[in-house]
Amino acid sequence: MRRTRQAFDEQLEQLEQRLLEMGEFVEAMLEKSVRALTSHDVELAREVIAADDVADEMDISIEQQCMRLLALQQPMSRDLRTIGTVMKVISDVERIGDYSVDIGRTAIRLADTEYFKPLVDIPKMAELVRTMLRQALEALVARDLEIVFRVVELDDKVDRMWYRLQEELEHIMEQRPEVVRQAVPLLLVARYLERVADHSVNIAERVAYMETGRLETLAASHRADYQPEGNQPAERPEAKPE
Amino acid sequence: MTTQADTPHILRPAGEIKLETRRLALFYNEFRALKDISVAFPARRITALIGPSGCGKSSFLRCLNRMNDLIDGARVEGEVLLDGTDIYHSEIDIPLLRRRVGMVFQQPNPFPMTVYDNVAYGPRLHRAPGRADLDEIVERSLRSAALWDEVKDKLHQSALDLSGGQQQRLCIARVLAVEPEVVLMDEPCSALDPTATFRIEELMLELVERYTIVIVTHNMYQASRVSHYAGFFLMGELIEYGETVQIFESPKDRRTDDYVRGRFG
Repeated sequence: MRRTRQAFDEQLEQLEQRLLEMGEFVEAMLEKSVRALTSHDVELAREVIAADDVADEMDISIEQQCMRLLALQQPMSRDLRTIGTVMKVISDVERIGDYSVDIGRTAIRLADTEYFKPLVDIPKMAELVRTMLRQALEALVARDLEIVFRVVELDDKVDRMWYRLQEELEHIMEQRPEVVRQAVPLLLVARYLERVADHSVNIAERVAYMETGRLETLAASHRADYQPEGNQPAERPEAKPE
Repeated sequence: MTTQADTPHILRPAGEIKLETRRLALFYNEFRALKDISVAFPARRITALIGPSGCGKSSFLRCLNRMNDLIDGARVEGEVLLDGTDIYHSEIDIPLLRRRVGMVFQQPNPFPMTVYDNVAYGPRLHRAPGRADLDEIVERSLRSAALWDEVKDKLHQSALDLSGGQQQRLCIARVLAVEPEVVLMDEPCSALDPTATFRIEELMLELVERYTIVIVTHNMYQASRVSHYAGFFLMGELIEYGETVQIFESPKDRRTDDYVRGRFG
């Protein structure tokens, strides 16, 4: 019994390790996609798009490993919650890869145009969002609820940036209709980043579940009764890439 | 649902309580096999008791219909309440108690007599019904135990010729024949193959519509499949008691967590 338990522990550890690798891979995709956008780098953007196949493969292969462990080990308690968490989290990470691809495509589309203003807020937002993703995965491996709450706090910050950027771009489009073809894709990029932040919060919430056994919505903005600060536009239809 | 203040990991289920212990302790001479066990079993629900070998779960089960009275040097403290009445009260009619609280054992133990006589044994002893009544009781009990179709043509053959799984269902029929209110099961499937085990589990889910069932099992997956509530015993103590899904998905006590994850033994 002791030996089989040890083998199972190793498999669980390996599962988390592979999830972490997938997270790092996708985080690099996200970083490159935003860099491609700001530096008009089509090559880099194409690299991101190609990388998505690898991320998808990682997703499938980790899910298969989870299913195998469920079938063969019939895990209970903490082990069950860990495997359930990994299965959910890979979907969030895979989705973040998709958003990186969308940003990469936008970078290619806008590669030949001079931006009407230097991109400042989007890289800043991207930096924050990447931190959230990294910390959410760190929280998972370290089983650290402190980090979970830090991720949730950062999400409020990202939400505020998104609302501000939205207002600003709307204002610019009203004043200078000729930039609409640039401003709309950039607005979508901001939206993608905001969605990446939400997926990172999902991951953080799963970590909390894994540790406490309680499934809760931690981020205020993820609750149905949430009212954004100030006179912000209410729920907008979500951009559905792909 | 509330938990008792002094034992935060012991749930007290809502609704009708059929059987309950209060500060139950069991001694075998000087050895204390069970310590201060207070737990309530809801009516018409299956409660599973789990724990490593020697943790006291079978000893506890035997306290619930005074089977430990038969063991030299065994002494019980505390109370066991069946519908609110202490079964250890001096004026309790013990044969009647054992009829109301029946027990099925680990090894199928049919009497060396015919299938029919096995089931008829209890009713004959308790109230000597007429032949027609007895036929009806035997058939009804065998049907309830999901055995009738397999044995209706061999009622007068020896019970010892049945398969292990059939013998165990016969023992359940024998318990049901005296119309119990509670059925205690002490590892009823440990001597059975997976198919026979599956049939007993199905049977339990049918029986629980009418009876309160408490089962001791070594098989955690069995406990998680069939029970509504589960209790974890360790070294004579009840460590945690709660809804089965909570015990197996997110136990509160570290020791329960270790056990259900296979970290003991």
